Amino acid sequence: MTRSYLLAASLSLASFAFAQTEALPKAETILDRYIEVTGGKAAYEKRKNEVTTGTIEAKAQGLKGSITRYSAEPAEEYSVVDIEGVGKIQEGIIKGMAWYKDPMLGPRIKSGAEKAQALREGTFNSPLHWRELNSKVETVGTEVIDGELCYKVVLTPIEAPAETMYFQKKSGLAVKTTTVAVSPMGEAPVEMVASDYKNMGGVVVPTKMTEKLAGQEITITLQDVKTNQTIPADRFEPPAEIKALLNKAADKKP
Amino acid sequence: MKVFPKPLLCSVVLCTLAVAVCGQSASSEKQRQIASFEKVWTTIRDKHWQKNPGGLDWQAIHAEFYPRIVNAKSDEEALAIMREMLGRLKQTHFGIFPAAVFNDVEGESGGDGSPGIETRVLDGQAVVTEVDGSSSAEKAGVKLGWVVESVSGKPLAPVIQKLKSDPDIHELALERAVQARLTGMVGDTIAVVFLDGSNARVARELVLAPERGQAARFGNLPPMHVYFESKKIGNTGYVRFNMFLDLVRVMSNFADAVEGCMQCDGLIVDLRGNPGGIGGMAMGMAGWLVDKPDQRLGTMYMRDATLNFVINPRAQVFEGPVAVLVDGSSASTSEIFAEGLKDLGRARVFGTKTAAAALPSIFERLPNGDGFQYATANYISEGGKALEGIGVTPDVEVKLTRESLLAGHDAVLDAALEWIRKKK
Repeated sequence: MTRSYLLAASLSLASFAFAQTEALPKAETILDRYIEVTGGKAAYEKRKNEVTTGTIEAKAQGLKGSITRYSAEPAEEYSVVDIEGVGKIQEGIIKGMAWYKDPMLGPRIKSGAEKAQALREGTFNSPLHWRELNSKVETVGTEVIDGELCYKVVLTPIEAPAETMYFQKKSGLAVKTTTVAVSPMGEAPVEMVASDYKNMGGVVVPTKMTEKLAGQEITITLQDVKTNQTIPADRFEPPAEIKALLNKAADKKP
Repeated sequence: MKVFPKPLLCSVVLCTLAVAVCGQSASSEKQRQIASFEKVWTTIRDKHWQKNPGGLDWQAIHAEFYPRIVNAKSDEEALAIMREMLGRLKQTHFGIFPAAVFNDVEGESGGDGSPGIETRVLDGQAVVTEVDGSSSAEKAGVKLGWVVESVSGKPLAPVIQKLKSDPDIHELALERAVQARLTGMVGDTIAVVFLDGSNARVARELVLAPERGQAARFGNLPPMHVYFESKKIGNTGYVRFNMFLDLVRVMSNFADAVEGCMQCDGLIVDLRGNPGGIGGMAMGMAGWLVDKPDQRLGTMYMRDATLNFVINPRAQVFEGPVAVLVDGSSASTSEIFAEGLKDLGRARVFGTKTAAAALPSIFERLPNGDGFQYATANYISEGGKALEGIGVTPDVEVKLTRESLLAGHDAVLDAALEWIRKKK
């Protein structure tokens, strides 16, 4: 499932550096094990597209909404987050072009590191593709999170900011990811924790994800994942405002 | 599964109208003083945008001031000590208002019924600056330029005088205090004594109706009435809205107004009396007015993140002259919008100096009943100016006067229209 690596688990109530008593496994071994414990390569390869639905909540702000996301091989995506009082926030990827649109900030074409991060996160079955998506992966230590020993793995993408992921030694599941969120508004550290792993859409995924950014906390809960659906061809087409921006950019080119 | 869209998350962070009032009880005056001190100190420690607030050793500040609070002989002395502690920050938007002043600002009436008039304090008097059509005030013949002398038998002058004399109360709070006295429960009647154009006393019974606009909710904030007005004055577009809230409707209305005015001689955005709201809306609106990519209105600095107020130019933008109207009640997002466009050379600002309250700040009630205001971020405009405590100085200073209102003129609007006429 796209971005499974980025959605890691339960709140780290007590995390601290753990004394090294044994050789650390290679990052490659940890990442391959994640594929195995979440369903195996064959299970991922059976999945050609998916439609995900869920809810989103920013409790402190009193904001709630729904999420619907369509994604397909190799890296096509359309998602809409509909929040009361905020409206529909849409994002998409088609043929290597990543875009964003919401009622407040308007439409924009992503570029630079933001685009690279979007394309990375939009890669379908991304756990399978860690070799192509990263120029370097390295196990840098261990930490205890919620009483469980975790391996700390740093993934360095070719363009986007590095990600640090925490995989439970016992289960092999990813329970936390820290990275830097990139947008035109700037870069901000973000922590993503995940819990409630369940088999959905043929592989095991975290069904509860909590993100913290700039002191704010957002919880996403997956309700359903349907795979290999008949998705209309135009589902991934960008909205008219994005096409207008593309035309404007094309007109400005000498 | 995607993560939450970061720009939206940022916009939530930028919601600058987060007003929380909490109450706690303590069994004695001393306990209340200590509890209030601890509330103020820990709030600054945990929520100030700098890890070392004001560059200070905040723990050492506690060690210095705590014994003084313990030994304070009265509420007044405790207040002075807490104000001295906040003064060490040397930053605006950190203040403590005595309970009596806080009550004056808040008013007593409650409810969101309105007689349909807006006022501004001009030369120490609450002057009617707008009368809503079909309101009870309009039906009662209330005119622009009339002075509100008393409401329900209570004269306004002493309240205005008291609040104006407190250096911690800015114009926005003063206007709010006056407006609070003109509100109440929908359906109630208030007795208002005005001074008309010839300074004769005129008594009117005004029925309170729902406030102008539509009730809008944004998360945990209480419902607020938001209106959006758009019209053409000759071939100049004019938009006005009372808050940067009701995001979907206001942004859509703003888009319609600009799209319908692409061939206008100019566009006027009237932010007088607008206390701000969701900061991101300023960026979105600027996207209709700025065509150059990678432009910013400014930058907001929080403890965990730095947010650039980036403008996304729309496919088609309005390229004519833009005037922004402001006054002492234009605050927060209004100031970010006005100063940002001014710094970019994209708008000319008319009116009077703004509220100097750009930061997202929160008001809370302390255990001893005092009001506590604190900011959670710092904002620097694109021109490198900290708006907080300084405000936006208009390019063209024009004051509303009672005389011009009585004559049926809006001097600020007239100045903007004249500038656009000359630019044509």
